[in-house]
Amino acid sequence: MRRTMTALGAVLTVVTLLAALAWAQQAAPPPWKQGQPPNMADSTLAPIPQPPAPKAASEIPVDKIKVPPGFKVELWVSGVNNARAMTWGDKGTLFVSSRVAGNVYAIVDKGGERQVKTIASGLNLPNGVAFRDGTLYIAEISKISKMPGIEDKLDSPPSMETVYDTLPKDLPHGWKYLAFGPDGKLYFNIGAPCNICIPPDTHANLSRVNPDGTGFEYVAHGVRNSVGFDWHPVTKQLYFATHARDWLGDNEPNDRFDVLTKKGQHFGFPYCHQGDILDPEYGKGHSCKEFVPPLLKTGPHVAGNGVEFYTGSMFPPEYKNRAFLAQRGSWNRSEKIGFRVMMVTLRPGAAPKYEVFAQGWLQGQEIWGRPVYTKQMKDGSLLIADDYAGAIYRVSYQR
Amino acid sequence: MSRILGASIVLALAAAVGAPALAADLEAGRRKAEPCAACHGADGNATVSGTPSLAGQPVYFTHWQLIKFRDGRRKDPQMSPFAKDLTDTDMADLAAFYAAQRPLPRPAATDPARVAEGKRLATLHHCASCHRPDLSGQQQVPRLAGQDSEYLLRLLRAFKAKTASDLDGTMTIATQPLRDDDIQNLVQYLASLGAPPGK
Repeated sequence: MRRTMTALGAVLTVVTLLAALAWAQQAAPPPWKQGQPPNMADSTLAPIPQPPAPKAASEIPVDKIKVPPGFKVELWVSGVNNARAMTWGDKGTLFVSSRVAGNVYAIVDKGGERQVKTIASGLNLPNGVAFRDGTLYIAEISKISKMPGIEDKLDSPPSMETVYDTLPKDLPHGWKYLAFGPDGKLYFNIGAPCNICIPPDTHANLSRVNPDGTGFEYVAHGVRNSVGFDWHPVTKQLYFATHARDWLGDNEPNDRFDVLTKKGQHFGFPYCHQGDILDPEYGKGHSCKEFVPPLLKTGPHVAGNGVEFYTGSMFPPEYKNRAFLAQRGSWNRSEKIGFRVMMVTLRPGAAPKYEVFAQGWLQGQEIWGRPVYTKQMKDGSLLIADDYAGAIYRVSYQR
Repeated sequence: MSRILGASIVLALAAAVGAPALAADLEAGRRKAEPCAACHGADGNATVSGTPSLAGQPVYFTHWQLIKFRDGRRKDPQMSPFAKDLTDTDMADLAAFYAAQRPLPRPAATDPARVAEGKRLATLHHCASCHRPDLSGQQQVPRLAGQDSEYLLRLLRAFKAKTASDLDGTMTIATQPLRDDDIQNLVQYLASLGAPPGK
């Protein structure tokens, strides 16, 4: 009897060991392919590669960008490799981030002539730039740094001083949008380190920290990856765009446009997508009622990036307090979608109005550019950064 | 009228700023590649063990790696000084020149058992997802088929050690479950493939 038990024990041990070995040999697919169901294994869809160099001005068909009547689009500057988020310095310098190019740029506009200076390079996906009191703040994967007094030293930029450097080091969805909130704190995203997974407690959120690096705290949870947000000019509430998961088909789930009404709210990832679809794997045992639904479903795979409320007076009055939403465009969809700038008009007691503002970077199924962030100019015109063509456009309006 | 003229001057100036890349020049690339020939070969097929072959590598791949050597994200005692002063145009020309060269396999002694195991590992670890089914590379993703063994060994070990520069983290993640023996088997398989045809 005892002998049988020992033999059984040995067999069980071997079985357990074999199972452990098999588990250890389960190799993860590349992050972009993670979560792809077996019936999509033959899909040829893959992320759109970032060109290593910007397009020359002569290769940029700016006339293909269509805007509403009365608006005009011009190429404001070209040759800004991988141009992404923008922020204004006190003295009129436009600071521009990049992602894979690893650079931060300063653009000086001298009466129509624009000079592009690279003020930092070799950085780790430095997508976030914010400016306050003469100091430029830069967010890379795992840290936030600053350059005090940068506007007076554009030709000999000071070295970067660390503000906060204990953020997760994961590269997937690790790049950050960075902005000052109305409370004077620096806000940023810590994305899910995957397409779909149960993220560690430290990920899939919006967070904030004081500009001196103290007081870190989470602001919102269940946010897969939000790389664009802004505060409503009147209510001061935080509105943000979120990229939804891939590989659930061409039309699901929608990306989201959300409002945070209470600190610590949970927006559903990875359990519930777009407010009403339980995740086929991680949704089990959950209900979408547990989570905050989106204010607006913005379309499947559109890749909503930059969010910015319009506060200027150049555009017609109905544009006041409207949000612009730059959509970098899809890869995980048979027919491409996005590659445009949308506008969201909030309406009390009714669903937001959602319309196209600028489009034309997608021609048929071919793309020549990807609008990724907007930034209002002092005169009320609107800059649109295109990280694919490495260019910035200016949209103006004439009565 | 003067206003229209003014506007065109503004546009012309804006266009002139930032030295945007022009269409790559193969002949210029060939000339600029002369100093590289000592290690990478005159036709981009490496002559020194441990040096990667660049022939037939996708344009985006070579260009991105040069950018990373220049800005210090990728470091190498040989390459870093060479890349330090390259302009964007130099990089575009070099990448175009090497992409147009015909890749030849690097000499490698391979053990059939290790090659077979390497092939199994390449499937298990989804290498073809990005490097293509024939491992000939695409876009920013390099050709592995027929690449220099010593170079592949060094790079895979560095990815595993999290010390190699990675455009988006994919290779660092992919190499974490690999044992050193796995890496050696994978490299034997890649070396055994020869160079992909038609490149």
